[in-house]
Amino acid sequence: MAASASVSPGWAQAAESTPIDYGALRALVVEDSSSMRNALRLTLSNFGITKVQLCSTASEAIYHVKLRDYDFILCDFNLGDGRDGQQLLEELRHSGLISINTVFMMVTAESYYEKVVATAELAPDDYMIKPFSPEVLRHRLESILLRKRAFREVYQHFLDQNLEAAAAACDALIARQPKYLVDAMRFKGELLVALGRFEEAEALYQQVIAMRAIPWARLGLARALHLQNKDDAAEIELRDVLEQAPEMVGAYDLLSDVCLTKKDAVAAQEALERGVSVSARTVRRLQKLGEIAHANGDLETARIACSQALDKGRHSIFITPNDFANLCRVQVEQGDLDGAAETLKKNKNLLVDSPEGQLVLAVTQGMVHTRNGNMTDAAKALDEAMRLRAAGTRGDAKMMLDLASTCMATGRHGEADGIVAEVARNAHDSDALLSKARQIYENAGRSDAGFDVLAQATTGVRKLNNEGVVLAQRGDFKTAVEKLLVACTEAPHNPRIMMNAVWVILKYIDQAGMDEAMIETARHHLDEAERQAPGHARIAGLRLHLKDVESRFGITRKGAG
Amino acid sequence: MNFDGTDLYAALIHELKNELGLLSMTLENIPLQNEAVHDSAVNSARLQCQGVADRLQQALLIYKSNSQPIHPSIDAWSPQDLVEEIRDRALALARDRLQVEVALAPDLPQIWFFDRDLVEMALVNAIHNSLNHARSRLRIEAGMQEGCLVLRVHDDSPGFPDKVLNAVVVDVPRHPRGTGLGLHFCRLIAQSHVNQGRRGEMRLRNDAGAVFSLLLP
Repeated sequence: MAASASVSPGWAQAAESTPIDYGALRALVVEDSSSMRNALRLTLSNFGITKVQLCSTASEAIYHVKLRDYDFILCDFNLGDGRDGQQLLEELRHSGLISINTVFMMVTAESYYEKVVATAELAPDDYMIKPFSPEVLRHRLESILLRKRAFREVYQHFLDQNLEAAAAACDALIARQPKYLVDAMRFKGELLVALGRFEEAEALYQQVIAMRAIPWARLGLARALHLQNKDDAAEIELRDVLEQAPEMVGAYDLLSDVCLTKKDAVAAQEALERGVSVSARTVRRLQKLGEIAHANGDLETARIACSQALDKGRHSIFITPNDFANLCRVQVEQGDLDGAAETLKKNKNLLVDSPEGQLVLAVTQGMVHTRNGNMTDAAKALDEAMRLRAAGTRGDAKMMLDLASTCMATGRHGEADGIVAEVARNAHDSDALLSKARQIYENAGRSDAGFDVLAQATTGVRKLNNEGVVLAQRGDFKTAVEKLLVACTEAPHNPRIMMNAVWVILKYIDQAGMDEAMIETARHHLDEAERQAPGHARIAGLRLHLKDVESRFGITRKGAG
Repeated sequence: MNFDGTDLYAALIHELKNELGLLSMTLENIPLQNEAVHDSAVNSARLQCQGVADRLQQALLIYKSNSQPIHPSIDAWSPQDLVEEIRDRALALARDRLQVEVALAPDLPQIWFFDRDLVEMALVNAIHNSLNHARSRLRIEAGMQEGCLVLRVHDDSPGFPDKVLNAVVVDVPRHPRGTGLGLHFCRLIAQSHVNQGRRGEMRLRNDAGAVFSLLLP
């Protein structure tokens, strides 16, 4: 290298561009130590950032972010009130409270901070390791702001939900801005996955890996493989990544999905357990471990995971009343009736707040009282549960089966049959739920009755679905739509039926031209399918198809989904 | 909570980092008064505090590397951004005592693959050495050498003493103390970077001053 100083073209470019106006930035500092908060405020004001809001907990941060937009959030990883900085970030992004334009920087004292999370949605823009110097903070902030400026067009298309255009804007960055080459490839990879273009995503991650086998690229590759049902290749990739970087928690989550697809629930549980042993902070990882361990009959692991999820997620948006039901179910199955009652008692104030919570209370109390032989109280609890159900309140399928099972045990056969039929219609293709339902009838000595209820519930839906699909394959989309819409009415929460209905509606419009009412129905059913089966591999493709139909017929979607 | 030795150790270190971070930030925020006695005392305190903070980072890394090798988290970074960040840290530490320059080679790539935090720690360690020994200036250089990214800290000090140069050749610090300790740590960081069978290196030489180089494959 030449000893003489020389100025690179990149430097000259930066000098040309307008300097960042720090005075215009609005900053939020989330830090639980008051002296550190004040020191940070002073440090930021030395950079020229004077519009600074300070707060000390995640709930305060959410409160402030709801009040107004911030350009820059500087957040300590360790916060006082149970939620840590990572949970705050996930909640802010998940509920759309901060946009992709907001800079989020994490301050951490942990050398084991999860640098490699599963997706960019879960990652901060950058992190700072304590103790850090003001110059480093200023530099990193400036780098992110300049990067976001370079990505302006990409982000604009992304926010407009025009993912195709966002991917094209990434291509422009890849071609013209070598400094942002890898960042642009990373973002494009996630866009391709969201667009259902898995093969292209696979090729793109291979390109990054050819430059250097960076962990996020290998994780991206494994995800792209998994989404193309190349699960053996995905598993090999993931196991190899974890060999090299056992602290990469995101890889355990994906590995467990891959194992589940391969119907190896034991390996799926093992993967999650390893992930939890690296980091037990992520509520969703604990929830999933609880669910899989329960399905595997490993009740003690399930109990620990379920109660940890509730513990870590005390204030998290990812916790719903179903999580309390899950823990109680495991406790009841373990024979720990007092434990289940205790769980309810401890969380009663929280549960009575919503009809869904009240249903959890009623169903679980009914279960506990029945097992204790306390039939009067059991009857009262069941009456309450049936009242809530009649008013339209529903829990997840497992809890509804709990309710059915308790009804059956107390001789309320008619009510039990009704509930089981409803669950079965909405899950006509779920072996796990149907076999659980069969089990309930077997335990009650009503196997034959159960056979009839399940057959009746699923036959209609299955028949309509199959007829619809066959008609569509023959090109008769009009009749296919009719069949599947009837199926949708009978099984309003069945994700498979919803997705098939959306598919035939879109095919029908492709063939026959626009039908506004129909496209509205497709939109509605696709949203419901996503609620019931978040992240299902078919959803991205259907969204893309829907978008394509809309744009061909000049419809712009009102409001963001 | 069950407090065994490891938990206690982790909790203590955590507090220590927080308090040190606060101390450093407090010192940084003391305004200078254009008054020699006050300003030079504040500047020394800042330098010393940064020194302690950087040593703590090293200590933790070495502590971990006893039980397991250093695991770099490699990603794509801009070498230019890194060098400029280091320059600003050096300027802040040196105040007006030293001139700090940056020299970027024309062939410096826009991005390279390395663990930014580890490499920064190694360079800051070299900067601390230069701040202690340089006469009037130090230069941070970046470019390509032997197919690797090379990052150098070049000062106008009397140069590394022979025993430091020799100790580096045999790969084992004989009496790792002061300078030797920090350099041992820098070598571990360099060597943790491996690409296609090529291992990173730390090199020391004298050329009208001390030249500290990191080669990253």
